[in-house]
Amino acid sequence: MTQRKSRLTLVLLATPLFSPVVRAQSAPVASSAGQHESTAVARVPDFSGVWAVEGGSPSWDPADPRGAKPEELPWAMEKFKAARPPFGAHGTFEAVNDPVQKYCDPPGITRLYNYPWQFSLVQTPGTVYILYEFPDVWRPIALDREHPKSPDSTWIGDSIGKYEGDTFVIDTIDLNDKTWIDQVGHPHSDALHLIERFRRLDHDTLELSVTFDDPKAYTKSFTAKRVFKRSSAPMEVTPCSLTEMQSFNDEVMKTTTQSPKK
Amino acid sequence: MKGKLSISFCLAAALLLISRPIAAHHGTSGYDMDKVITLNGTVTSFNWSNPHCIVHIDVKDSKGEVKDWIIELAAPTLMTRNGWAKDSMKPGDEVIAETHPAKNGATTGLSGASTNLLKFVVNGHALPSHSG
Repeated sequence: MTQRKSRLTLVLLATPLFSPVVRAQSAPVASSAGQHESTAVARVPDFSGVWAVEGGSPSWDPADPRGAKPEELPWAMEKFKAARPPFGAHGTFEAVNDPVQKYCDPPGITRLYNYPWQFSLVQTPGTVYILYEFPDVWRPIALDREHPKSPDSTWIGDSIGKYEGDTFVIDTIDLNDKTWIDQVGHPHSDALHLIERFRRLDHDTLELSVTFDDPKAYTKSFTAKRVFKRSSAPMEVTPCSLTEMQSFNDEVMKTTTQSPKK
Repeated sequence: MKGKLSISFCLAAALLLISRPIAAHHGTSGYDMDKVITLNGTVTSFNWSNPHCIVHIDVKDSKGEVKDWIIELAAPTLMTRNGWAKDSMKPGDEVIAETHPAKNGATTGLSGASTNLLKFVVNGHALPSHSG
């Protein structure tokens, strides 16, 4: 963790060095990691800025926007039935087993886009970093390598990216199966393969299209979109503290799940 | 009006106010989002903390008994973007507060999150509010 924080600090300190890159509408970056070549400078779309979700939905499944129905595969169906989510058709305050709300576990990548908190992309030549305000999570998107051959499953998986015209495409695998893909409790397996596609609709509007491919959990892949607006509010840090979460649950949540007063 | 109970059901207003869902990290299933009541009372504490800011308000009921109302708001970062601050209110302040009450009759309510922030009047001055 210390190493990750040190790395993030370096990234943030280095950001001004790349300010011509991240501020331009379409900006030049080195054609290979960290090495500028005067004869082969690529131009990439600019996703800099602070972005906040507009509208949105607690579910990522476009066929099940309220999280009302179990999935077709037994593995996913059993997990979905066991979920006691805070949102959606089965939303509850009682015995919630949302791993974020109950344990302050890191949310799955796609849950990060359902929160009302902001995120920011920091584009550097070899890596794009995405910083999420809540719950103080960041992830590196490597631009100059393939996925590792013997990866470890982690909370945020392994992400590699590339620019395709005006779109930034992120390919993520090697996720553990401890997270939900959304706030209504849709599960996923460790075979989940995510494709995120960012593109700007205009100067102040960012579109994200996500394709979920998880053959262990779902009969077919599905794709859904979110739209984000540019925010003038600065990025802030909102960690998930288990102490604060438990205090809140004791003070507020429990009072609303006790027997009604006569 | 100090300390005097004034709870009114404003269903028509509520329909306008909840035209967009209030987003909290835990959802809204514990609250009656079709109902808005108005509380008149005195602040006893204002906790500016994650995951949600909380206001405690002493409110007299129809029998003259003081009830401790727990009012949930958004996280500090989101409340700041709504124009509030940690010193927006303090113990002893008189408040008029709209809230979505708990379904089970508990003296608990939800008054704001990222997309909606119901009316709060502190010592006669209205704090920023919006309906999404």
